[in-house]
Amino acid sequence: MKAAGLGALATSAPFLTGCGSSSGKTAISLHETKPEVIPYFDDLVAKFNAQSNSVEATHDSTTDPIADFVRNRPPDLFCDNYNLTTSIFVARGVLSDLADAPEAALIDPTVQALVSQYTSYKGQTSALPYSIAAEGVIYNRDHFKTIGINSDADAPKTWTDYVGVCKELQSAKVVPIYSTFLDPWTMQQGIFDYVVGGMIDVADFYQKLVAEGADFNANSPVTFSKDFREPSLRMLELLPFMNDDRSGQAYTTGTPNFAHGTGAMYYQGPWAFSGISATNPKANMGTFPLPVTDNADDTKCRVNLDLACYIPTGTGTAAAAAELMSFLYGDNGATCIKYNKDNLAFAPLKGAPRADDPKVAGLNPYVSAGKFYQGAGTYIPLSIPVGNYIQQFLIDQNVDGFLSKLDADWQRLVVRTAA
Amino acid sequence: MATISGTDIPAVDESSIHTTAPHLVAARKTDFTYYWLLVPIIVLFTIFITLPAIIGFFFSFTNNVGYGAWHFIGLANYKAAFSDPNIRHAYGFTLLFAVTTTILVNIIALALALGLAAKIKWRTTLRGIFFIPMVISGLVIAYVFSTIFNVSVPFIAAKLGISGLETSILANEHWAWTAVVIVSVWQSCPGAIIIYLAGLLTIPTEVYEAASLDGASPWQQFKSITFPLVAGYVVINSVLALKGFLNVYDVIVGTTNGGPGTATQSVAMTIFRGLSSGDYAYQMANAVIFFLVTITLSILQLGFLRRRGVSL
Repeated sequence: MKAAGLGALATSAPFLTGCGSSSGKTAISLHETKPEVIPYFDDLVAKFNAQSNSVEATHDSTTDPIADFVRNRPPDLFCDNYNLTTSIFVARGVLSDLADAPEAALIDPTVQALVSQYTSYKGQTSALPYSIAAEGVIYNRDHFKTIGINSDADAPKTWTDYVGVCKELQSAKVVPIYSTFLDPWTMQQGIFDYVVGGMIDVADFYQKLVAEGADFNANSPVTFSKDFREPSLRMLELLPFMNDDRSGQAYTTGTPNFAHGTGAMYYQGPWAFSGISATNPKANMGTFPLPVTDNADDTKCRVNLDLACYIPTGTGTAAAAAELMSFLYGDNGATCIKYNKDNLAFAPLKGAPRADDPKVAGLNPYVSAGKFYQGAGTYIPLSIPVGNYIQQFLIDQNVDGFLSKLDADWQRLVVRTAA
Repeated sequence: MATISGTDIPAVDESSIHTTAPHLVAARKTDFTYYWLLVPIIVLFTIFITLPAIIGFFFSFTNNVGYGAWHFIGLANYKAAFSDPNIRHAYGFTLLFAVTTTILVNIIALALALGLAAKIKWRTTLRGIFFIPMVISGLVIAYVFSTIFNVSVPFIAAKLGISGLETSILANEHWAWTAVVIVSVWQSCPGAIIIYLAGLLTIPTEVYEAASLDGASPWQQFKSITFPLVAGYVVINSVLALKGFLNVYDVIVGTTNGGPGTATQSVAMTIFRGLSSGDYAYQMANAVIFFLVTITLSILQLGFLRRRGVSL
């Protein structure tokens, strides 16, 4: 780090130091903030503390890790969402290399590849996947039965089939697709990611886009205007099948409505099931991936690394953190497998068992076959408010305006960050 | 105290001592006390406001994200900020919002203060009711209003068949900002009312009695007596209000969260989100620009209002 003068002022906070332990054990903190599983990890950490002679871990589920990095006092171990914020940690080299950790050998390489799709640092293994959430179209089995679809296997496999299903539902006086436009993220992870991911090779697109660097312009081999045009038009084709009050519905108001049977399909991930069953424990739901083309082989599901383990550099507690990480995975990944089974997610391990809960089992064949992508929206740095752009686009339906704005923003960002 | 310290008076003062000397000494001692009142605040202000501001200013010339490796990039952040349509739009929206809200708050608060200062029935109760918004957190107010705009208003409009209001105003790109103005005005009126009430109480009642004897109408009384005499309070209120509204944040987060699209993204929101989006240094440059804009506006506003013969 250059020019440490003022930087040191910003990062040194003498009154914040000192996290020693009175028991003589090394005190470390585990950062895990996924709201639905905080009690689950509280329990795991308590079990770890009971069996470890040298390490005392605490579970931190509230603080902002960025602020902790700014204070130069990051958590000792993360088991948290792997997203673009994490990829900034990776790019800035503040995470340690886990390539030699024994758990690294357990991970399925196709899943490990997802980690470096956003960015990587000197070819290191900066994070190990712990849990994959697979997302698709959550559907109300009761509504689907009325139009003769009785199992996941009968779910539509092509775009034409899908539009047919939507029309049948409409004739049966059921809103086919329930949407909550007030929350931009629901459109970004839902309709946008599903349609783009089902039509183009997302990872390949961004790899080429990033390769352009600061030279990116409207004539580059890949641009949003060229490659996202067809998906954008397809998104508009879905609008007539959505609820009329979508622009006034938020995730928190829409999820209970959907749980009570308003609408037959909901573009959400497994996290929505906790809200759905809290509202209506009898809700009978399943999931299938959205088919976007007429070739059934194109159909894939969206995944995200819902939890991944990573250890910041320079904490001085790497060995203790590694001990906790080994405990979290368990013998041959047993604890990791159990966690994923308990939480409707997929374990990222070689030869991991399938998810058998009927709510998500419909995605099994796709996850097992490696037919998945990380959402197109998740590759776009947070400086570009893509969720807000999608919201605006789905309201004003201006394809050119939407895509040229993405191109212009991307161009400005790469020029700015190249400085 | 005074007699004891009186013995400390230096010899040179002997000639002019007499009765004034003890007062002089007392005055000097009091001065010292004032310093002790100020020093802790100055120290705290320096540590928690000035120093971080200087550090932020320093980092605005780097590519720092708040942690990890970084290097100097000169004025690149500033150049990029000036050409960023999102930042420009945020300034446009924030100025429009702040000016509109400042004007509305002052008109409404002055009108309400006139009413609440008059000899009316249940004056204390009414004052209490009008002050309620002041003790409720901005986020709570914003969430309550967001339910009103998203659920209640469209429901009522649909029942009554009022066209244009059946869909939430918060989802309307062109009109969402007016909803934010309404919430902010509702929230900010009590503060302004208190200042106006204090101002109105300083006007002696004899002036009004004399004016009514001369046959002045209530409007003439307001125009020629009340307004000129509370004009100083209008200055205070409008400067404070404009400064506060330029920093608008919580009300927007609770209602539109910057949407739809980026229609109601305020400058403070773009700056704050810089840290989580890895744009710390870039948004620090934006913050420096915003600081200069705010200072300039406040100076212009004071100058304009002073020229109108009003002084703080």
